[in-house]
Amino acid sequence: MNEAIVNVDARGLEPPQPLVAILEVLSCLPEGSELHARTDRRPLHLFPLLEQRGFVGETEEQHDGSFVTTIRRA
Amino acid sequence: MPTKRAAVADVHAPSVALPLQFILTGIAALLAASVWLVVRPIILAGYHYSPEVLAATHLFVLGWICSVIMGAMYQLVPVALETRLHSQRLARWHFALHVTGFIGMVVMFHREDMKQVGHFGSLVAIGVGLFVHNLARTLARIPRWNVVAAGIASSLCWLSLSILAGLYLAAAKCWSFSQFAPLAQLHAHAHLGGLGFFVMMIVSVSFKLVPMFTLGEVQSVRRAGWSLALLNAGLAGAFVTVLLSSPWKIIFALVVAAGLAFYGLEIISILRARKRSRLDWGVKYFLTALVLLAPVLVLGVVLAWPGLPANELTLQLETTYGFLALAGVVTFAILGMLYKVVPFLVWYASYSKAIGQSKIPALADLYSHPLQAAGYWLFLGGLLTASAASALGHDSCVRAGCVALLASFVVFAVNIGMVLSHLVRPRIEPLIAHSALQTNTRPLP
Repeated sequence: MNEAIVNVDARGLEPPQPLVAILEVLSCLPEGSELHARTDRRPLHLFPLLEQRGFVGETEEQHDGSFVTTIRRA
Repeated sequence: MPTKRAAVADVHAPSVALPLQFILTGIAALLAASVWLVVRPIILAGYHYSPEVLAATHLFVLGWICSVIMGAMYQLVPVALETRLHSQRLARWHFALHVTGFIGMVVMFHREDMKQVGHFGSLVAIGVGLFVHNLARTLARIPRWNVVAAGIASSLCWLSLSILAGLYLAAAKCWSFSQFAPLAQLHAHAHLGGLGFFVMMIVSVSFKLVPMFTLGEVQSVRRAGWSLALLNAGLAGAFVTVLLSSPWKIIFALVVAAGLAFYGLEIISILRARKRSRLDWGVKYFLTALVLLAPVLVLGVVLAWPGLPANELTLQLETTYGFLALAGVVTFAILGMLYKVVPFLVWYASYSKAIGQSKIPALADLYSHPLQAAGYWLFLGGLLTASAASALGHDSCVRAGCVALLASFVVFAVNIGMVLSHLVRPRIEPLIAHSALQTNTRPLP
């Protein structure tokens, strides 16, 4: 696994727990790292909060129906 | 390998104030309508074609049910369908027209002034026009058309037809030009609104919300699609045959029943395949409402039976049918969904910016679970008592049932008040220890 990538698996959580899990990890994300968050659904409420914290995110749907959001500093 | 990329920049929900102003108006109307029933139980214990019943019904249907569903739709449709609400400004105009219109309609129904009912009804109709236009433009930009979007589009069509039918009814009362029987017109109008807008909307959004809140998935898109198709076909036929007082209405009642049977099977399949074993009270409220569809359906088929005699019991059963559908199925489903939607809206507005930076309450800490349980049992007891008493035309027992229903709604309002208090006074504390990176990360497979 790439050391610059922090992974969060937030599948199986009811809203808003995926949001909490991702943002809590993001708050102590090491400089230069990027966060990969896997969720059951597209995390629509996450994006405005990322913007407020100086991050950008992009979501990709996976073949198994889950979503992986890649988050990095803007 | 990824299959699709998100166009996330164009996705967002409207401000929390917009859905909340509709929802709070709805709760106020619910309490007012419940007090009215307690004071005047004859509304349910007597025959339903009277000015007072029409006034109380429109307070309940437009003031409570429509306000809440419309407010929730402004919030849920953009999120559920991954797009942006077309216009918040139009939604604010809709709110002003809706509130002015429905309050005026209720007062004028009570005064038996059908001309003014038509005027205030026109305000409601303009508001509904803005609502339908706003959501239609929102639906037009969704990235993927699916069964949820198709159901919502259907319900908007039925809502528009219901409003037009209502205006036609008011005009026909003023100028006596209609060739249809007044009661048949009223029943046809009621089915367009009740089945076409309310039930269709509940069915459609539940294909998104039930999987979301139980951590499951729709098991058969084809079955979900059939349920919507049969509901649409059955309602179209039921509208015409009810309007014409035709004996063929039984056929379309059975088509509606088949659609709801497909829906029930799909919900059972979703629940069987869910990942979350424990269901919270909000979901329990909603699922109990769906169970109540069964007796409503049986009553509907019985009342559509060809050659059914029009005696005291069958006429009262028509009142019970409407009450059980609106106060039972639709209201219980709405209460359940509000227990999910309102806490999330408030929590997101009050605490989302502080996640990971301060100590914040969990979503479930915003409301009281014992109050939810008390409200559930008060509601069920009140509903069953009032329904049975309505069928028998028993005044005192209707009042007893309505007192329990009112108590349930007061409990609900108190609980929602507790949630809303977090908007006014958020409980944010400094973070003492921070170990999120260690506790929340799991490697991706």
